[in-house]
Amino acid sequence: MSIEPQTNAQSEATLTLLVRKTIKATPERLFEAWTTPAQFMQWWGPPGVTCPGVEMDLRVGGAYRIGNRMPDGNEAWIVGTFERITPPSELVFSWRMEHVDTPPERVTVRFDARGSETEVVVFHERLASEAARAQHQAGWFGCLDGLVAFLAD
Amino acid sequence: MVTELAAPFDMSLPSASKNLKVLESAGLIDRAVSGRVHRCTLDPERLREADGWLEFYRDFWHGTLESLARFVEEDEPDPGKDAAPTRATKNKPRQRP
Repeated sequence: MSIEPQTNAQSEATLTLLVRKTIKATPERLFEAWTTPAQFMQWWGPPGVTCPGVEMDLRVGGAYRIGNRMPDGNEAWIVGTFERITPPSELVFSWRMEHVDTPPERVTVRFDARGSETEVVVFHERLASEAARAQHQAGWFGCLDGLVAFLAD
Repeated sequence: MVTELAAPFDMSLPSASKNLKVLESAGLIDRAVSGRVHRCTLDPERLREADGWLEFYRDFWHGTLESLARFVEEDEPDPGKDAAPTRATKNKPRQRP
């Protein structure tokens, strides 16, 4: 499928995504699982994706790198810096594909206590059409044949 | 027509027009101009692609949070489900890599 270049759409067209899940654990336990590399490597990624390595400099302005080994064996690394760290309730970090020159996206992860459980909320914003195209080229979206733009004005 | 598209929304015609321009530049709608009348048509194929792109990340994050849940819930078994929760299981060391 061919997509015509649309340079005029890139600055404004972005997508946002909100995903929630209630988990039987405390915010403290979840924050620890997310911010301790040895634990993070054990759970990161959807089924089929494994994490070959992760580096985290857990302080505001500190960098992180997350490895993603795809089912086809390709590796894609997500990189960014921490923008806000509020244990045990919130993490905010920039997000982009390594070696791909696109504007960074931003991910906010919240751990909200709900009785004995915790609602984990992931808010992924600034997903841009140009980033989608570049990531596709980088092999991150091996199976995705189309890309997109939307408005979040 | 732009006036018809703007009518259901609480926004001015210029801002409706601005939003339509974003959609148009993103390839989600086509516009045909006849005199002063602009007719906008949805491009369902592009919308499908937009949805597919969002769907990828939605699946990625859903799957990742599922994995996180499995990891921490294995670590601390729910006493309600397990008939014989003991201090030993509760106090077992954290999983090691």
